[in-house]
Amino acid sequence: MLNNVTGILSTMFSMSIPLILAALGGVYSVRSGIMALGLESMILTGAFTAAVGSFYSGNAWIGLLCGILGGMIFGLCHGVLCIRYKVNQVISGIGLNLLATAASTLLMQIIWGNKGNSEAVASVNTKLTFLKDIPILGDIFSRQSVLLIFAIAACILSWFILFKTPFGLRLRMVGENPKAASSMGIPVRRMKYIGVLVCGALAGLAGAYLSIDSLNMFVRDMSASRGYIAIAIAILSRYNPLSVLLCGSLFALCDAVQIYVQGYGIPSQLVQMIPYIVTLLVLAFGVKNIQPPAGVGKYEDE
Amino acid sequence: MSKLSNRLMQTSSIVISLVSFMLAILVSCIIMLFCGYDPIFAYSVIIEGSLGSVRSFTNTLIQATPLIFTGLAFMIGKKATLINLGVEGQMYTGAMVAALVGMTPLPLPGVIHLLAALICGVIGGGLSGALIGFLKVKFGSNEVITTTMLNFIIINFCDYLVNYPLKAEGAVAQTNKIVEGALLGKMIPGYQLTWAIVIAVIAALVVKFILEKTRFGYEIRAVGLNMKAAETAGIKVGGVMMKAMLFSGALAGLCGAVHVTSVGKRFISGFSPGYGFSGISVAALASDSPLGIVLAGIIFGALKTGAMYLNMMSQIPTEFVSVIQALVVIFVSAPLLIRALIGADRKKKGGQRHAE
Repeated sequence: MLNNVTGILSTMFSMSIPLILAALGGVYSVRSGIMALGLESMILTGAFTAAVGSFYSGNAWIGLLCGILGGMIFGLCHGVLCIRYKVNQVISGIGLNLLATAASTLLMQIIWGNKGNSEAVASVNTKLTFLKDIPILGDIFSRQSVLLIFAIAACILSWFILFKTPFGLRLRMVGENPKAASSMGIPVRRMKYIGVLVCGALAGLAGAYLSIDSLNMFVRDMSASRGYIAIAIAILSRYNPLSVLLCGSLFALCDAVQIYVQGYGIPSQLVQMIPYIVTLLVLAFGVKNIQPPAGVGKYEDE
Repeated sequence: MSKLSNRLMQTSSIVISLVSFMLAILVSCIIMLFCGYDPIFAYSVIIEGSLGSVRSFTNTLIQATPLIFTGLAFMIGKKATLINLGVEGQMYTGAMVAALVGMTPLPLPGVIHLLAALICGVIGGGLSGALIGFLKVKFGSNEVITTTMLNFIIINFCDYLVNYPLKAEGAVAQTNKIVEGALLGKMIPGYQLTWAIVIAVIAALVVKFILEKTRFGYEIRAVGLNMKAAETAGIKVGGVMMKAMLFSGALAGLCGAVHVTSVGKRFISGFSPGYGFSGISVAALASDSPLGIVLAGIIFGALKTGAMYLNMMSQIPTEFVSVIQALVVIFVSAPLLIRALIGADRKKKGGQRHAE
């Protein structure tokens, strides 16, 4: 019994890393007034560029860096389209998601000659092994990636940045009322670009975790709609980084239960529906009165 | 030159679409060069393989059929300000329901059986679309996320059905064959092309009629143009959105139903290479006009057919077509970017400075 519980919790924490990182990215983006519907593309691109970086350099840390950069490039594209060219933020996000799926599948065939997955690449193998002697907690945490610590630290730090520093106040003001922010001399566009770039970096890291940490290869469409689930997490946590930690873990628990139940002979197709059904139910019944920042989709010159 | 740019300043949607498409093609040429292929050779092969003979043109029309349906489905949602990413899932519902009806031996004449299958597919797709509309109107759930989630749920459930309770004999995850009489007939003897393409064109005409000539169409357009004004004018915005999603889902369901009764002949696991998402590009290229969608569907269908032909002769993966489609969505949605790229804006700014 205890083994089952620690097993599920262990899976939950490892599944929570990409969700928390991506949802945290979504919080930055939405707080600066840009809808985060391109998250999916940033995760997928991050996963792909991380695998490419790791493949060519043989060094997983360089791969991780490439993943972050890949996510940032798509974040920047989303930013340029939305901020400079005033594209409908939903359409821009969806267009980028389509582009990331198509481009990663195409480039995968060009680089590795395979439509389904890449060759094995170097993966990040730094686990929290120093915890292995602690009873129970050791079972849960000793096999976790070092990125778990990073994700938790990033959430706490982001809470401090967003709610306790002048920068955070400015970012939130840009998201709430870009016109007022602009009249107070806050560089609205620059703040929005910072928002989408941080979002891209975090989502890219989430993707890199998927491809070169929890696995050692890129798999076609490996983001599996986590970007959309991350948006649901960001909404449910009312765009508060600390709540992201909690909500992300809750959604990861669904994933963990799903993987656990698969061992009991229930058809995998049915079990895999669990996280998506939970997200759907949460969106229907859990978030009715949660409003995004008032300035989402607005610009300083409107 | 100045006359040309003057005209471009009031850039119409057709110009935006054309320039976007050309830009996307240009990017694909760069990809081909990058892979070490001559783009001119590649595109001559694509044209040859998609339009070069009667057979290749009929193949193009077969590829275009689902794209026309999904383009129409996406467009109806968008007209009512709803981004229906669930076309893919609604299509699966329609296909599964139609296959279920089609493969059951009923004491009906073939044509009636076929009609029953198609209508049931339409109802199935429509209901799964209406569910999204209901969640949006009743609970304010963002339809982009709910549709994505529902896609996964529906596609996984269909996968379960064809792997367990409905699995036909053999290794492939698929249902039994649809009864011979309930299949769509071939248009030209000796070719694979069925009447499906005609149904798609009729659907486009019906959509055009509904949007332009009926009260429902007027309400959809009013909601899309200005929701607050529509509400003030006494239009029940929520109800219109629900009906629009029902309509959108119904078209997606028809797409699936037509697919299984023509090309598929049964429900096969994972039959769609993302038709639902290609619909977004088709609607974008057509700038949301129903007849434009027929043309855009044929253009993308030709590209796909040609790309498959090209893939047989070279190593260029067919996925570059998906890249073109994604770029079209992005470029068409960014008229300011297009104007900046073709220099219409620079002229305008120059003119303003002159006036100062």
